[in-house]
Amino acid sequence: MPQLGKLALAIALILAVYSIVANIYGTRRNAPDFVVSARHAIWAMCAMVTIAVVVLWISLLHSDFSLEYVAAYSSTTLPTVYKFTSLWGGQQGSLLFWTWLLSIFTSIAAFQNRRRNPEIAPYALAVLAGVAIFFLLMLNFVTRPFDLLATVPAEGSDLNPLLQNYWMAIHPPSLYTGYVSATVPFAFGAAALITGKLDDGWIRSTRRWAIFSWFFLTLGNMFGARWAYEVLGWGGYWAWDPVENAAFMPWLVMTAYLHSVMIQERKDMLKVWNLSLIGLAFGLTLFGTFITRSGVISSVHSFTQSGLGPYFLSFLITVTLAYTALLIFRSKQLRSPAEFESYLSREAAFLFNNLMLVGIAFAVFWGTIFPVLSEAVRGVKITVGPPFFNRVNGPLALGLVFLMGIGPLIAWRRTTTSNLVRSFAAPVAIGVATGIVAALGGIRQWYVLTAFSLAAFVIGTVLVEFRRGMNARRHMVSEPRAKALVNLVAKNNRRYGGYIIHIGTIVAFVGIVGSSFFRTEVKKSVHAGESFTIGSYTLRFQGLEQTDTPHLESATALVEVLRPDGREITVMSPAKLFFKRPQQPATKVAIRSTPFSDLYVVLAGIDDSGQTATFEVFLTPLVFWLWAGGLMMVLGTVVVMWPNVRERAAIATALSRQSTDARELADAAPGGD
Amino acid sequence: MRIRPRFFIGGALIVLAIGYLIFSSIRTTSEYYLTVPEVAARQTELGGQAIRVAGRVKPGNIAWDPNSLTLKFEIAPIPDIDASGAPVKPVSVVASDPVSFRVIAAGEPKPDMFAPGRDVIVEGKLTPDGAIAASQVMTSCPSKYRPKQAQ
Repeated sequence: MPQLGKLALAIALILAVYSIVANIYGTRRNAPDFVVSARHAIWAMCAMVTIAVVVLWISLLHSDFSLEYVAAYSSTTLPTVYKFTSLWGGQQGSLLFWTWLLSIFTSIAAFQNRRRNPEIAPYALAVLAGVAIFFLLMLNFVTRPFDLLATVPAEGSDLNPLLQNYWMAIHPPSLYTGYVSATVPFAFGAAALITGKLDDGWIRSTRRWAIFSWFFLTLGNMFGARWAYEVLGWGGYWAWDPVENAAFMPWLVMTAYLHSVMIQERKDMLKVWNLSLIGLAFGLTLFGTFITRSGVISSVHSFTQSGLGPYFLSFLITVTLAYTALLIFRSKQLRSPAEFESYLSREAAFLFNNLMLVGIAFAVFWGTIFPVLSEAVRGVKITVGPPFFNRVNGPLALGLVFLMGIGPLIAWRRTTTSNLVRSFAAPVAIGVATGIVAALGGIRQWYVLTAFSLAAFVIGTVLVEFRRGMNARRHMVSEPRAKALVNLVAKNNRRYGGYIIHIGTIVAFVGIVGSSFFRTEVKKSVHAGESFTIGSYTLRFQGLEQTDTPHLESATALVEVLRPDGREITVMSPAKLFFKRPQQPATKVAIRSTPFSDLYVVLAGIDDSGQTATFEVFLTPLVFWLWAGGLMMVLGTVVVMWPNVRERAAIATALSRQSTDARELADAAPGGD
Repeated sequence: MRIRPRFFIGGALIVLAIGYLIFSSIRTTSEYYLTVPEVAARQTELGGQAIRVAGRVKPGNIAWDPNSLTLKFEIAPIPDIDASGAPVKPVSVVASDPVSFRVIAAGEPKPDMFAPGRDVIVEGKLTPDGAIAASQVMTSCPSKYRPKQAQ
């Protein structure tokens, strides 16, 4: 069985190489048969990688410990669902999973473009296959998932207990999906550069891929934060750890890209910028994998090192150099005739929004690699922790939120002052009023007051936009309000879905600000029957319940939660678990979540007699809204991605324009690229 | 693409502001990230400076008081890793290694993964009597990507 997996990976590598050769040869020599066979090779490669994945899955489910990977990341007592997720629980498996996703996405792109984009698609597919080759080389020669053990152990060493959690079952696949799907727009951008077809065709044909990637990066980051919050037991959800940063940076750059491509589609500007952003996004996904696997940057997540670092770094450097060279080579053709006219224009707002997003990404990057840089320059490792990231990104986040309010309401090209006043009067009033209410409510931190005012301002602008659109619709087709609203969103899903995402982002932002500034913490050791207070809650420790199963031992504390008037609200049961294979303790947090605040109880320790327990309790206001905002962002993205007739027509127009260009080009230079 | 000068100024101002934010924040928030032997070598210059020390919990001499939430232990160097990834010395030799520092972490619960022989990162300051007053003790979060020799 493992031999089959090995063989499949070897054949996949050969097919990937063949598809590149056939794609390029077929396009340059005008031999469509080769382009078709390259496409088939890509599909066959995908089938081969799928076989390898299925083989590994079967081995995991059957606990075939002759495989080193299965012995290292699974055990007979592991619940079936986690045997399944062990596929991405370890190094080799997660790379195989990555390659699998890449081969699936490449196959889909090959299918979508079987009749579209005849000039750039073959090159884009060749770039995608090139990336696949790198991963297949790793899987075939460097970090092999089907290596056998000389002596077969009776039992595996099990998946890490911290990873035996439903968020961990879905967080890595989401993040990987986001990472890997960014390769598709990158490949089309690279193909546009290679072929010199530098109109917005590559952007239009991969816009959905970019949104898809952004969607899963959002989900991946949210799931990861949620996992940290529920499992790690320190009361927070984000620690600016290098591994978290690695997932956050591509998200930031992808967000910038999704905004700036609108300027190119509308105004034919920022071509170099867009190509650079997508290159950067792809580079950051590689960088993310590099730092999580190389051990170059010490992270709380990954102390251990593996031999993959140099390979990833070499690949990253090669890709960066080649892409930059292409950009420079095409720089003359990338000049845009249009130019910015006014600060008071949407393109200016978008440009500044891009600078902020890339600025945040750069700050995060700088803070992440600073230990390495300082060691190289000054000979001593200097780290910057969360205070650095918060100090830099706090003000930038305010700037972004401000622009989020401005951008959608301001006109393209330029806006008159009277227009500005009319559009912004109501939102500004809402923002100021919110600030005053918050100040009267006792909030004194200037940052929080500004943040809440700006958040209300943005929500105000979005409401104004919805109202304006709805009224315009009712004016034209006379519909009832609710129907007009639904139709408005359905007919302009890209725009109004975007607004829903904006509201979600703002709601999440409010959650982040509230939870960062107003969190309180109490640590206490108490005997059974004793109580202590946090905020307006009284917590009474009733006693411990202990259990023992073959898989784990556990001690659960029963904590009664009382309101100031003495009424019981609930009983919470934080626990300490002790896994037996491998021997490792873990903490089970108890959380009581309300829209106002989360009560977060950790059983930090128990004494041997079982009578005294140490608790760490956090009261975190508004954190609920971080997750609610994430959900709204997901909803908004679904609206954006919903198939839209108008957009298909636009793509069709762009494509027919492209193929006319292509014919002219082919006439002018037969056989050339 | 041509950008009018005043636009260029606007963009440049934002870039400068971001640069300044990064520069000033780095200066005020940085901590030395050191190994145990490095702390020993620089002991005199580190007084009062925020440091992060990577080391290994020395077996024996570990005290945990759940009432005051005080954890005391000794931190020793992590043995060198040779090219193949295997420790040069077996772990047991580390226990007798002369360079180690007393760590006193007060007011924090003991981390789950804390155990003798585990790798930890200690955040805190060096006290005049040569101990580390820790504000945080982080254990090596069980990485998904364990090295081969660990199995």
